Amino acid sequence: MANIVLIDTRKCMACRGCQVACKDWNQLPAGVTKFRGTYTNPLTLQPHTWTHLVFTETDQGRWLFAKYACMHCTDAACVEVCPLGAVRRLKNGTVWHDADKCAGCGLCVEQCPFNVPRINKFTRVMGKCTGCAERTMNGLQPACVATCPSGALEYGERKELLAKARARVEELQEQGFDQACLYGETEMGGLGRVYILTRPPAEYGLPENPQPAASAWFWRAAKGPLRKLASLTLVSGAMFSLLRWRAERIQGKRGDQKAV
Amino acid sequence: MQITRREFIKLTGTAALAAVIAGCDWETDPDFALRLEKAREVTTICPYCSCGCGAICYVEGGKLVSVSGDPEHPINEGALCSKGASLLNLNTVYNYRSHAPELNPNRLTKVLYRAPHSTQWEERDWQWALERIAQRVKETRDATFEREAGGVAVNRTTAIAHLGSAALDNEENYLLAKLMRSLGVVNLDHQARL
Repeated sequence: MANIVLIDTRKCMACRGCQVACKDWNQLPAGVTKFRGTYTNPLTLQPHTWTHLVFTETDQGRWLFAKYACMHCTDAACVEVCPLGAVRRLKNGTVWHDADKCAGCGLCVEQCPFNVPRINKFTRVMGKCTGCAERTMNGLQPACVATCPSGALEYGERKELLAKARARVEELQEQGFDQACLYGETEMGGLGRVYILTRPPAEYGLPENPQPAASAWFWRAAKGPLRKLASLTLVSGAMFSLLRWRAERIQGKRGDQKAV
Repeated sequence: MQITRREFIKLTGTAALAAVIAGCDWETDPDFALRLEKAREVTTICPYCSCGCGAICYVEGGKLVSVSGDPEHPINEGALCSKGASLLNLNTVYNYRSHAPELNPNRLTKVLYRAPHSTQWEERDWQWALERIAQRVKETRDATFEREAGGVAVNRTTAIAHLGSAALDNEENYLLAKLMRSLGVVNLDHQARL
């Protein structure tokens, strides 16, 4: 059973409540920011800013808003590459990272197709959205969802929310948004954050057809089939030698008995 | 190497066991304890705009640990905007390097007074400040009080205005209105009317 957050960008009014609530719940410090010609502030995610709101102004003078954070991919590259097993996928679909295990090596930073993980240079620990695992495991919604005043964010069971999202996209298309679409249904094995968009994903700053970096195949093999093969060989080898040793011992005893 | 029937069964059994062990997903989710479990809940009203959203303050050992929207409040139903969501930071901020919580150093905890034409703030105590306010209210009222205007009894002062706050509750607002009316204040307004 995987849970997702459904982000209806059409309902979002860009109040940034999610951005602040995230900092508040996860006890993250504020940073000094600067106005750089766009309302997106800070410009990218930071070790202490795990979600931010991306503002895009279109040619038609319309604003597009998208809450950007870790996508909690089903086939998450960061989970596959982490050499210490600090990033893992919980049963409820959250890609959670254990700050106590993290060494800040930065492999996940290279692999992530969404450019999400960041290394804190003071604590040498990777920082990214933890999906509020502490809250969701105790029956609460993630902090961003709980605070959303316009109902643009919704947390729930993947299948149910996807059905709801498809209906909403159809509704938007009827309203005249010809290019309304769903993002995150199939990308990276299905994302844990599904967007309802009124324009193509690229306009919101979302990567079209995201793929993990090329070296991910090596880590996937090393941590998947190869690791299993190695452990299988080890265990069966140990059992085999144990049986051999036992057989030899029994034979030896029998030999002794014969000698007597 | 000849394999007997017994050895063959042993070998296949071991291999099957090894395959099961290797194939099993032994990982279970870690235990997550909610950090607010021991905290006491105190309801409050957001002090910022005139909406008057309800919020819950979580207090543990006399210290504020978290603030979130009140799901049972009829106005916001658990939601808070970016200003409301930052309520905790009025009291507590996080250290940029260590992420450790500390009291907001910019928070005012003492009465500051700047005398007319002065450029310096001076620290004063509450007793002095309250007496000074009362004195100035009395002076202003006495100097500007009107008993009559256009042949009609008005008993008012137009030199004083009072603005209520959205963070005040019904009873506090009632008392403030009573006090202001008794002084003859007619410029009586409230932020929630904005």
